[in-house]
Amino acid sequence: MPFESLAEPNYLRSIIQVSLTVSLTAILLSTLLSLPIAFVVGFADFRGKRVITAVINTGMGFPSVVVGLLVLMALSNSGPLGALELVYTPEAMIISQCVLAAPVITGVALSAIESVDDAVRDAAYGVGGTRTDVALITLKEARYGVVTGILAGFGRAISEVGSVLIVGGNIAYADGTSKTRTITTAITLETRRGEFETALVLGAVLLVLVLLVNGIVLRLGGR
Amino acid sequence: MNLELEHASYGVDDTDILDDVSLTLSSGEIMTVIGPSGAGKTTLLRLAALFERPTDGVVRFDGMDPWSLSRDDRLEFRRRIGMVFQQASLFETSVARNVDIGQRVRRPWSQRIRGFIRRVADRWIRSAPTVDDRTLEALDLVGLREAWDRDAGSLSGGEAQRVSFARALAAGPDLLVLDEPTSDLDPRNTAILERAIERARGRDHGVLLATHDMHQAERISDRVAFLLEGELIEVGPPERIFDDPRDERTARFVNGDLLYDENGLLA
Repeated sequence: MPFESLAEPNYLRSIIQVSLTVSLTAILLSTLLSLPIAFVVGFADFRGKRVITAVINTGMGFPSVVVGLLVLMALSNSGPLGALELVYTPEAMIISQCVLAAPVITGVALSAIESVDDAVRDAAYGVGGTRTDVALITLKEARYGVVTGILAGFGRAISEVGSVLIVGGNIAYADGTSKTRTITTAITLETRRGEFETALVLGAVLLVLVLLVNGIVLRLGGR
Repeated sequence: MNLELEHASYGVDDTDILDDVSLTLSSGEIMTVIGPSGAGKTTLLRLAALFERPTDGVVRFDGMDPWSLSRDDRLEFRRRIGMVFQQASLFETSVARNVDIGQRVRRPWSQRIRGFIRRVADRWIRSAPTVDDRTLEALDLVGLREAWDRDAGSLSGGEAQRVSFARALAAGPDLLVLDEPTSDLDPRNTAILERAIERARGRDHGVLLATHDMHQAERISDRVAFLLEGELIEVGPPERIFDDPRDERTARFVNGDLLYDENGLLA
């Protein structure tokens, strides 16, 4: 019967909840990690800056299944973080999405910071600004680019399947409530079952969610 | 505040951009720096505004060498200098917030954070923006008092440069360092800025101005300095520099003669 899964009262609500909680937490952590890196690389002049920038840019295209595999190896019993017992939990998914989104946020924010005209930095210095003031003014000038980076990171996190499937396991409880099932992994499952209508509805829900988050963030950013 | 450059040089990778320049500038005086492109005018101004440290020699303010002081102490000197660049380089915000930036960066952090929170709250409840008297006074001087709540991006090039001048002035500097501020402006905007520069002199500000406009140098300077290939050729009152220069190279430059041969070498 079409839409069988959606008939479960908790099914849709719980997968949306897991998707949003995991991706928003991952983006928050990833932003806290990425912006200082973008800031330091964008402002400091040091040997190896180009290499670091190249590594960050390469990270933007890092395959999510490989990230999932590496995170799984790190979190598995024999891995360095095995003692935390995080395999097949939302926390593991947060870690993998955080790793996936970080290069995107860092790369786009870095490019936005670097593209602020030197003349603007000079102007900030010329009005009597300290180095912190110059950095803050530059960051403010780059704000739309930085926000775009965060949104791109969010887009990558919430829409990815490979790594959350590997480290989360796409688990739902017997009553249909999601433990580690996200909208994307649910779409994969429904498609495999031949429930294309349900998969399509879930796809539409995902699109609306991404649109909503983008709208809210852009509204807050004043655009 | 009196500015003094004593045998100041500045070089990058063994190339001298400015070579052994000595000059003084007193409060209430306008000194214009003229010279062909690449003569080192901007570098001279950046040394005077404490953007760069001379690789040799000393820059002094009221007899003190700010580069011998700690960064915090040097900041106090920097904050007595207002710099205007060839490009307006306004920040992406309102005109008023561009002009009062100098005052804001001088406030203690607790006050700045409170101001930020208030601004975010004001934005949510959409309350009308406000402006302080000092900002309006600086804008008044460049004839843009009414534009305080406009977005800086909506200004014309000439208006933006006038706002940039008001921004330098609003922080209350003793010395103004102006790097070709009117080179991209039409005659009307140039006249407004020149009037503002003269009014700044009237308030006892020292003004160091680089320009390519010989007529401007003649109009507003108390003294003119001619710079060529990083070397200060001569300094003197405009009448002398333009009518009776002591150095032959100055005479050729002010007469518009080519100083360079076809190989780009000083002839």
